Amino acid sequence: MNRTWLLTKMLMKNGSGLWSGKRGSGWKKLLMILLMAVAFFPLMSGYVMGVIGLYDGLAASGQESALLGMGMAIACLGILFFGIFYVLTVYYYSQDVEHLLPLPLKPSDILGAKFLVTLAYEYVPTAFLLLPLLITYGVKSGAGPLYYLYAAVVFLALPVIPLVIASLLAMLFMRVTSVGKSRDRFRLIGGVIGIAAVLGFQIVIHRNSAGRDSVEQLTQMILSENNALLSLVTRLFPSTKLGAMALAESGVLAGLGYLLAFLLVSAAFAAAFVLLGDRLYLKGVMGIAETAAKRRCVSGEEFDKLTGRRSPVLAFAAKEWKVLLRTPAYFLNCVLSCFLWPLLMFIPVLSRPDGFATVREWGQFLQEDAAAGIGVAVAFALALFMTSANSVSTTAISRDGQTFFVNKYLPVPYAQIIAAKVVPGTVLGILSMLLMCAAAGLVLHPPVQFLLLALLASLPGIVFINLIGIIIDLRMPKLDWDSEQKAVKQNWNTLFSMAAVVVTAAPTLFLAFQGKPSLYGISLTLFVLFAVLDLVLCRALVTKGPEWMDKIQS
Amino acid sequence: MIELVDVTKSYNGTVKAVDRLTLTVPRGEIFGFLGPNGAGKTTTIKMITGIVRPDQGTIRVNGKDIGTEPLEAKRQFGYVPDSPDLFLRLKGLEYVTFMADMYGVPQDVRKERIARLAERFDMTDALSDPIQSYSHGMRQKIVIMGVLVHHPEVWILDEPLTGLDPKSAFTLKEMMREHADSGRTVFFSTHVLEVAEKLCDRVAIINKGVILFCGTFKEMQEHFRSSESLERLFLELTKHE
Repeated sequence: MNRTWLLTKMLMKNGSGLWSGKRGSGWKKLLMILLMAVAFFPLMSGYVMGVIGLYDGLAASGQESALLGMGMAIACLGILFFGIFYVLTVYYYSQDVEHLLPLPLKPSDILGAKFLVTLAYEYVPTAFLLLPLLITYGVKSGAGPLYYLYAAVVFLALPVIPLVIASLLAMLFMRVTSVGKSRDRFRLIGGVIGIAAVLGFQIVIHRNSAGRDSVEQLTQMILSENNALLSLVTRLFPSTKLGAMALAESGVLAGLGYLLAFLLVSAAFAAAFVLLGDRLYLKGVMGIAETAAKRRCVSGEEFDKLTGRRSPVLAFAAKEWKVLLRTPAYFLNCVLSCFLWPLLMFIPVLSRPDGFATVREWGQFLQEDAAAGIGVAVAFALALFMTSANSVSTTAISRDGQTFFVNKYLPVPYAQIIAAKVVPGTVLGILSMLLMCAAAGLVLHPPVQFLLLALLASLPGIVFINLIGIIIDLRMPKLDWDSEQKAVKQNWNTLFSMAAVVVTAAPTLFLAFQGKPSLYGISLTLFVLFAVLDLVLCRALVTKGPEWMDKIQS
Repeated sequence: MIELVDVTKSYNGTVKAVDRLTLTVPRGEIFGFLGPNGAGKTTTIKMITGIVRPDQGTIRVNGKDIGTEPLEAKRQFGYVPDSPDLFLRLKGLEYVTFMADMYGVPQDVRKERIARLAERFDMTDALSDPIQSYSHGMRQKIVIMGVLVHHPEVWILDEPLTGLDPKSAFTLKEMMREHADSGRTVFFSTHVLEVAEKLCDRVAIINKGVILFCGTFKEMQEHFRSSESLERLFLELTKHE
């Protein structure tokens, strides 16, 4: 146990943890957090308002504790899904793994430490999901200090069970796929199937909750005992009921009993994890960095093709593409997400029983000029969002990691390197938009000119978000990572670019809904406005970019 | 030819990694840069190659100032960094072609050079595999090939022999000799004193950012009035600091 703890401290310091970021001074970090708070304030306040509405609705029939149970169960579900990816990174794809294996440590020592590191990381998304609920509930119910003490304990212990399940699933996956030569490819396919399963699950959830958007309807849903969704989620994590009861009964002694039972169940899961982990971990992790080699001579014709000459910008962009497509972490997070978002957006609509009919009606609306104008604004906002969500440009510098210095000694102007690095993100953003237009065309049957104008109006915006992304990454690159996953997933830069999307898209939507501009009017305005902004940013990048690049020290 | 004049670099404003270093490496010479760990060798090389900017002083490669005409200066040299773990997701051939593109090597020239280098370094069968599947020595060889493919005037090699098998090490040393003998420059850092002793026309010994000695091996012997091996001298040079 002592060794586990020592190892945990070492891993935290070494960059596997959350607090290892060496970037920026104290006030800079504070400013970052403040900026995030401002950007996500609308989302959070909406969440809190929803919780208040639900609380009032449920309290009327004395069922308000169901809210706690549901909130915790949903948080657990979120932790389970996100957890699988974190676990894969921390347990398997972290560079420290190869250094830890030769040490005289039991697998459970390594696993225990890595589990604690992942647990620490999970508190951040859990805080986003759960704290507003716990605090709002406490305030609304006028709970005493004991409630907040119990809430803190429940908050700390809650991620343990879903994370154990995520760990076991990930370890099982790695154990089963630890065969054959092309393990990387095998696991990539596994990842794609996993994401497809999550999508399928989402459709099921949506089908179950179809037509229950308003707070009243949600209240009704929670009150009706035989609801499929709720019982499914709570049945997945039965322990959340204990946690919820502990908080609801925090005023009386029974609350303490529930709390102890909750902690006991969590501890039992942790113990099971240690036992099973001892059997599963080593066989999956050994030889993780090995790559298959064919050792065959390249034929004359192939050799000619592969050694063909390209301009430095093209060669650099091609290199960026190859690295993006061949690195599993980059492929899953950056490339695949660009194809997933357009699909994800239609799931909520299509998974309803009457989905197609509703959507067709929207398509009819788009025949009208004013509605089409708003439609373009919505398409524009979605394009910006998808471009930012693929985080290709916002991590273009970060992804270089410790090899960033190569950019410095090549006899290629920095401006050309920056240009080459904006290419993949822009192409993928446009691809997302094309895919969304195609999906919209199939589902909505809008006028063709609407689709074309929506696409046209979004192009400069897509370039704009990519330029903003590369500027963010040039100013704050995260080069000090020990697994590729961290370069793209645990990188604040994506959140900054999301904030830029909110700042750009929100006023656009607001003005479109208020002013009801014509289809051509808004398309042309967006196109010209963002084309001009792109020119300004390009100019800034050409003059200041090389200077910023020069300042980066790897 | 490499010229460093009064070059200083400090980290965090206090620790001087390199302190007022002045050094000239003329054409036609293999120049060995020696020193213990943390002496300032890699920092010096990073400044010559434009990776790190010096706090003061000027650096010229073949007369081109890396500070004021960086692209011209960078075209003069090829650089082998101390860690060969670069672009691991690329295949060997893709990496070498990428480097050829960066330096604008014409198609027919590169083809012939890649084929010849691959043969000399025994890498022909490995070119189509990802660099990730290479051993440390093979990675070292592919990085060296990426440098030699553009036929630079000046070679700058940071610990180039680490991890190479004896045959490849011999080949590289042979090539370094040929390069210097054709009137061009080879600058390399090493810990292996025997190599420096046998291979270098001149050596410099650096410790704590300061050059303690610069000259031929023979001069060094005279300098210390001793006939002992360079290793002994080296220890003597550094242990009293």
